[in-house]
Amino acid sequence: MYKLYAALFTAFLLLTSCGSGGEEESESFRLDGEGIEVEGAWARPGSEGRMSAAYLLITNFDETADTLASLESDASQLTELHESYEMEEGMSGMREVELLVIPPRSTVRLEPGGLHVMLIQLLHNYSEGDVIELTLEFTGGQTIPVTVPIRP
Amino acid sequence: MLPAPKNSCRNPNRPPRLHARIWLPIFALFLFIASCGEERLDDYNDLSVELTNQYGEAVTFPDDLKGKPVLMGFIYTHCPDICSFITANLHSVWEELDETDEAHFVLVTFDPERDRPEILHNYAEAFDMNRSPFTFLTGDPDQVEALMKRLGVRSQVSYTTETEEGEELYFLNHTDKILLIDENGRLVMDYGGSMTPTGIFTTDLNELL
Repeated sequence: MYKLYAALFTAFLLLTSCGSGGEEESESFRLDGEGIEVEGAWARPGSEGRMSAAYLLITNFDETADTLASLESDASQLTELHESYEMEEGMSGMREVELLVIPPRSTVRLEPGGLHVMLIQLLHNYSEGDVIELTLEFTGGQTIPVTVPIRP
Repeated sequence: MLPAPKNSCRNPNRPPRLHARIWLPIFALFLFIASCGEERLDDYNDLSVELTNQYGEAVTFPDDLKGKPVLMGFIYTHCPDICSFITANLHSVWEELDETDEAHFVLVTFDPERDRPEILHNYAEAFDMNRSPFTFLTGDPDQVEALMKRLGVRSQVSYTTETEEGEELYFLNHTDKILLIDENGRLVMDYGGSMTPTGIFTTDLNELL
């Protein structure tokens, strides 16, 4: 009897962990797309002449890797890919990322405190409720325009 | 005849009663624990730093901020990611505390040469924080540098790039922190600025309100 309960409990734990793993998986990767898809885009508020950062998820549904080749936006003079990283003693650093490879059948997250689209020298003030346009070009040939809402 | 008071026959040389001997050390322990609770990481009352807010008004640190607890972050407006994160964190804590005006929410630039009051004003406007209880501070570069040294905020040029007009832009590596300062100008807590969950700031600040 004890063995039965132990087996049932183990099965329950396995099912629970599978369930949560599945949720994470489905959040980061769907199986029903093709090529490159971009979703969840948003950007920080920013003032004219200053900076903002845009965040999004890039998913590659193909069996081969693709590379983000260039970025363009109607909101800024320069648009680059950057990465924040933690240095020693609580210092935060930022560096430009020349090429971003999106591995096959996976998602790369651009999110606060990590990879981000850097909008350099904004052309206007942008606050919550505004939107900007962003275009991503991939070496595989796709060009993806994205409408990006501003929020804090 | 009235009965004599019970203590009229107490021997003055008799040692204190047992309960007094127990309660005294407990009281002393209570005082010790209470004083531990008040322990602060630093006391800024020896400072008197003249700063300027986003409206061009003079603000002396810490004197003009005393009377209310202060949640203080450090930013520069050319920073799109981490500093926006810190700024948004302060706004979130304010919202989580039912938009309280019983605390100061302060952001100080460590890039005072570029972040003049009007620049901070625009930055505050973009984040919908150009109002009380939010204050954005800049100042004389030497004074700000001395203040940052005391508050443990470091910054250094990381790299430069050029705009279309050929203007050079520099970016900074910098300390990522938020401080909680009590209403008497003493440091209560020193947090990571961008990655600390806002609920931690909210809980700690709420204890001071």
